[in-house]
Amino acid sequence: MSKLTQRKSMDYIKKQYRETRKMPGSWYLSNYKYKYNITHLQPFLKKLKEKKLVGLKCSGCNTVYYPPRFVCGKCLVKPNRWVDLRETGKVSTFAIAYLKDPETGEIQEKPMVLVHHDGADTASIAQLNPEVDFKDTYIGMPIKAHWAENPVGGLMDVEYYDLMKDDAKDLDLPED
Amino acid sequence: MDKVGIVGFYQVKLYSDANYGRYEMIFEAVRGAIDSAGLKKKDITTAISCTNDYYDGRTISNCYTVEVGGGYMADESKVEMDGAHAVLYGLMRILSGNHKLSLVWGGSMASCFPYHAARLYETDPTWERPVAYVNDITAAGFQMRAYLEKYGVSIEDIAKIAVKNRKNASRNPLALQEAQNANITVKDVLDSEIYADPVTELMVAQPCDGVAALLLAPEKQALKITDNPVWITGVGYNQETYYLGDRDLTKSMSMELAGKMAFDAAGIKDPKKEIDLAEFFEAYAHEEVIFSEALGLVDMGEGTNLNSEIDGDIPINPSGGAIGGNPPCGTGLIRIIEAAKQLKGEADGYQVKDAKKAIASGQIGMCAQNNIVYILEGGN
Repeated sequence: MSKLTQRKSMDYIKKQYRETRKMPGSWYLSNYKYKYNITHLQPFLKKLKEKKLVGLKCSGCNTVYYPPRFVCGKCLVKPNRWVDLRETGKVSTFAIAYLKDPETGEIQEKPMVLVHHDGADTASIAQLNPEVDFKDTYIGMPIKAHWAENPVGGLMDVEYYDLMKDDAKDLDLPED
Repeated sequence: MDKVGIVGFYQVKLYSDANYGRYEMIFEAVRGAIDSAGLKKKDITTAISCTNDYYDGRTISNCYTVEVGGGYMADESKVEMDGAHAVLYGLMRILSGNHKLSLVWGGSMASCFPYHAARLYETDPTWERPVAYVNDITAAGFQMRAYLEKYGVSIEDIAKIAVKNRKNASRNPLALQEAQNANITVKDVLDSEIYADPVTELMVAQPCDGVAALLLAPEKQALKITDNPVWITGVGYNQETYYLGDRDLTKSMSMELAGKMAFDAAGIKDPKKEIDLAEFFEAYAHEEVIFSEALGLVDMGEGTNLNSEIDGDIPINPSGGAIGGNPPCGTGLIRIIEAAKQLKGEADGYQVKDAKKAIASGQIGMCAQNNIVYILEGGN
């Protein structure tokens, strides 16, 4: 190694630095407007208003997308067949996030889940009913959509997911 | 694929909050790489950088690194992904036959911006952001949980990976000081602060400050510059679908396909036997396990049983990996440099014995959405 790089970064001399004048300005990352054309989603939004769920089926690979997608990446075509879905599903995986309330400083434990709807082939990010204890969450937990009182035909019409009674036999502990 | 030689490299010491500026850090890395090959500025025919507008706090972030980054009056371009993707760009320029020496550098200073908060903007603004708060850590939680559930692996086994990498990092003088811990135990990892259950603080590759640089040259030119270049004999890359719910999170399909492409290019038939060591960019401890399974270094579901210590069956991340320091945009590049060090026998203190063929990988995206794999070979 030449003399130029003999000064190893490890013993780099601690340099004096001071803050220069700040220029006002901000990067409006969170105010960015994301445009999304909902024309092809009209049937989905209409059904949400009736408290019903539908997915989009790709005619190329028969994958049922929920939430409906604009394009099937596998076939590069627009999925165009609407199929009815049940409002039940199961938790496909989850993580518990610890959210701090900026005002009170209180930490809230919230399970974030990926929900796999019965009848769909894909899962979507969602939240569970806030009354559900985060310690009770598990993979494969049966859940059901909780509808807003007055659905307006938007994505937030399914507010969160309620727990269903799990009647799977393998949950019963053996007696001995 | 024609062989391309790595003829020089340099990595600065990683700091969680460095005392010097980005400008000097880039100069140190770039100048160091050129000096390590005994070359001059005029020998560089193309310069590729890897930075990010947001991470730099500057739009068109490569506009101000021209002088220090070796881009003055040169054929210069930028990649806004991982450093390993920048190497791919440099490699392609060499393989095009138009260039004799390609300089690739990448890195950033994570102490200047909130890294994990920025990654909240990675989720879909229409479908995902309004519904739930998911960033890369929560997504890693999804993946780790799915993996643990599918193969019945215990959380301690994942913590062992973090312990191994932090112990390895303690032997690497250039690793992040916070990550170097020779006496760490599984209990320490599990008891550290919970980020998104089951992911704890010490399982996360901590974003830090650092820059690395690398020089690539075609076969003939490489042999003129140095007697023992490290050869890139294969490269593979693949991209997975964006929505987390569309993927099988328990495995990495993109890594599997990237690996296949790289092994085909390098003529490797049985990676288990032929590969001597691997340097993965594991942003979270469990990703190392998923990658080694995807590349066929170990059977599916057996990843945590592999002896991946420095003197083990297949040493993985002898340098400490990304857990030993993760400067955004630079980590993948550092993995390639560390693998090259091993093949040259320059890894003082964490040298793998008789290393001839190595894997180095880079990634970007949630749950390693996009993966890139290099096969490196040493000796002539």
